[in-house]
Amino acid sequence: MKLSRRQILKAAAASSAMMAIGGPFGIMNEAVAANEPDEWVKSVCRFCGTGCGVMVGIKDGKCVTVKGDPNNHNAGFLCLKGALMPPIVYSKDRVTRPYIRQNGKLVPASWEDAMNLVEKKFKEALAEGGPNAIGYYGSGQALTEETYLASKIFKAGLGSNNVEGNPRLCMASAVGGYVTTFGKDEPCGSYSDIDAATCMMIIGSNMSECHPVLFKRVAARKQADPNVKIIVIDPRKTNTARIADEHVSFKPGTDLAILNSMAWVIINEEFDNQRFHSKYVTFMTNEKEKVDFAAYMKFLEDYTPDKVEKMSGVPAAQIKKIAMMFAEASATTSFWCMGLNQRIRGVWANNLVSNLHLLTGHIGKTGATPFSLTGQPNACGGVRDTGGLCHLLPAGRLIKKEAHRNAVEKQWGIPLGTINPKPGLHTIALWNAFSEAKVKAMFVLCTNPAHSLPNVNIYTEGMKRTDNFMVLSEPFMDAETVKYCDVLLPPAFWCEKRGTYGCSERRYSLLMKATEPLGECKSDFEILMDFAQRMGVDPKIVPYKDVDDVWNEWRQVSAPTPYNFSGITRERMEKESGILWPCPTEDHPGTKIRYVRGEDPNIPDDYPKKYNFYGKPDGRAVIWFRPYKGAAEEPNEEFPIVLTTGRVIDHWHTGTMTMKVPELRRSFPVAYVEVNIDDAKAKGIQNGDDVLLETKRDKMVFKARVSDVCRPGLVFVPWYDANLMINKLTLNAIDKGSKQPEFKICAVRISKA
Amino acid sequence: MNRKNLKISRAQLVGFALFSVLILSVVSLSQAKGIKHLKATDSAADCYECHKYVTPRVAQNWLESKHGVQLMKCFVCHGQPDGKGSIPFSVKPDPVAVCAKCHDPAMQRMNEKFGNEKGCYECHPFHQNSLHHDAYKKSASKKQ
Repeated sequence: MKLSRRQILKAAAASSAMMAIGGPFGIMNEAVAANEPDEWVKSVCRFCGTGCGVMVGIKDGKCVTVKGDPNNHNAGFLCLKGALMPPIVYSKDRVTRPYIRQNGKLVPASWEDAMNLVEKKFKEALAEGGPNAIGYYGSGQALTEETYLASKIFKAGLGSNNVEGNPRLCMASAVGGYVTTFGKDEPCGSYSDIDAATCMMIIGSNMSECHPVLFKRVAARKQADPNVKIIVIDPRKTNTARIADEHVSFKPGTDLAILNSMAWVIINEEFDNQRFHSKYVTFMTNEKEKVDFAAYMKFLEDYTPDKVEKMSGVPAAQIKKIAMMFAEASATTSFWCMGLNQRIRGVWANNLVSNLHLLTGHIGKTGATPFSLTGQPNACGGVRDTGGLCHLLPAGRLIKKEAHRNAVEKQWGIPLGTINPKPGLHTIALWNAFSEAKVKAMFVLCTNPAHSLPNVNIYTEGMKRTDNFMVLSEPFMDAETVKYCDVLLPPAFWCEKRGTYGCSERRYSLLMKATEPLGECKSDFEILMDFAQRMGVDPKIVPYKDVDDVWNEWRQVSAPTPYNFSGITRERMEKESGILWPCPTEDHPGTKIRYVRGEDPNIPDDYPKKYNFYGKPDGRAVIWFRPYKGAAEEPNEEFPIVLTTGRVIDHWHTGTMTMKVPELRRSFPVAYVEVNIDDAKAKGIQNGDDVLLETKRDKMVFKARVSDVCRPGLVFVPWYDANLMINKLTLNAIDKGSKQPEFKICAVRISKA
Repeated sequence: MNRKNLKISRAQLVGFALFSVLILSVVSLSQAKGIKHLKATDSAADCYECHKYVTPRVAQNWLESKHGVQLMKCFVCHGQPDGKGSIPFSVKPDPVAVCAKCHDPAMQRMNEKFGNEKGCYECHPFHQNSLHHDAYKKSASKKQ
């Protein structure tokens, strides 16, 4: 018998196919077929500030899968967290009905009883202590419409500026940095700058694990052109450093000196762009005195590479090298995140990165921009832009400025003088006041402060008091803050509601409602509207039928400001996958580059200069003289090691979502301490050993992961684990300007347990 | 002998078919009940930490690939060995269920260009798609 190769293969395939029926491949394919979605609904990923577009796969009214949105900036790509979201929606830990705490235990309650109690407690607090005795603590994960509404209810309806949110813990220093340098918040470039940059400096950011899809774009750029230079400045040699041409490891906290030293090198090698900075830059001392370029050169003499080598441990030659890489490239983009922001010198560190761009003119060109990465999906659009913080009003306006208050009062149709002229309490002050029962009633929405606040023991002790009251809208029963709330409300989660997310690049994208809320869950919009009505807020202040009404008002409120996104209509958002503001008209494509004539619609076409930093009265951005000063708690004899905290790629924030995904939970079920090999040897610590970490505030035992990721003298602990909350050990010292706490540096002692 | 044709007896063909059945049965059984897999400990939980020792070639290929550089970890495509994950465990994942989550636009482009004759894996060696960079030389496994 003669058979061709093809016939043999066919015979084998046929027998394989027979066996596959009922076999694992058969089962898998059936499972795949069974889960083939009936419909794909456009949305945005629930996790980080990258804000990737996703398509939610719906079958029989349930979310069964997700895939990347090919039309959003991520071009269809997702990271491992984004790709595994569906199990979170149907977790057994979802809160699906209201609860009231009775005799120390949460017991099921009706919506009516729960909201009656909320109303009673807030009215009692107002009667007893006035508007300062109530507060709202929101989230960079809430929808834009929810934060806008909450801020308006409290500031315009209840007279309280105690409106804060977890973005104070993650990006307040970036706001402070942008506002002091450019006069306006938010980045001036976009993600698309990655595709054109010839040098990228990543400082204080483990982009690979915290913004994986952006890191993918950076890596793809490096792959497409190996001449593209990548500089990673981080005391940990993270996965981000895998693609680095130069990884700069430094003594934690001395990055301010390194950035000043880079400026010194750039000037002394004559790579500064005189034509740019003489025309568009003001040089300003730390005491806000306008000076000249010569004064800047004099200031930088304290930061010669040789001097900074002694401070930072970075070889002078490496400082020179990275400074030249930064300056010589045709287009340099910088990225930074919590490593700079979560510091008591966070605003200064932000200024110093922008200084390098202003000095070299690496700004306002495709591929050249100073870009702050944000940790949460809607910290930028939802909280920064809507003014969801205690000192802000919508579109970057400030409570302390009468003209700004009056402008907003007019737009909101409320009498002039309604908004309290005194800013409210910032996050740490607010929780201090709550812990002392000075703030007596707190509305917490979509965040987990009992896990995420620094030096958290003092705040959880405060939450245990019985003479203050906390209502919490939280989707997951196992969130740490649930242990302390007095009323627990069940919110609709992610794909169960409609609204807007605004990611790090000023991109507003619509999350469309894809499924019905579980159980008795309601959207936070509905919850807040109910709260407003019960509290007697004038219906004219909250005249909304649905979130689209809120969006349309917010769109109009932005119109007379440089944020102007009145062209981002709901109809456009449904069709398009995200649009970057400013976007003044419905036919405007959105803005990738700000402050540049011909790019930024806020600058008239006949403006005489190319650049206009219109946030400053003279149109000039500021190069600040920010000195290097140490951390709030430097290592000492008793606590000789630096403790820093952060994320792993598998988990996000307090783990309440990622711990619901079996694969992610299993990948990193328990937090650990990362110890340098030399430090481990000195202490007799082996991989997997129990290690005791002690700070002035608390102590805790972690399993050791011994590696060369941390530099000697530094240990790292991820903060997601509710059973091993490293925030019991961290420090609540804050930046004077931004009021952001210094999570990234505190002193610790380690020993084998 | 014509290189394209082979002389094979009926007995050989039956034998080959039975062999295929046997192999598939073993694979089916082992996968249906879960491939023998060590229970991950709390301190060494991610796949690479063990697989760089037990399956070094595959682990190293992954590490040096784009997926490795970008930390698209094993479980994203393969699921969880105990079968209790959010996607089915599979040695060879179904492209429609898995690859499409990120590569749907490319898959559609390929389909339009070449039709549906070949699977993704035939042209794209997913573990060996190098980033063309020497960064992987700094990897932990290279130091072992």
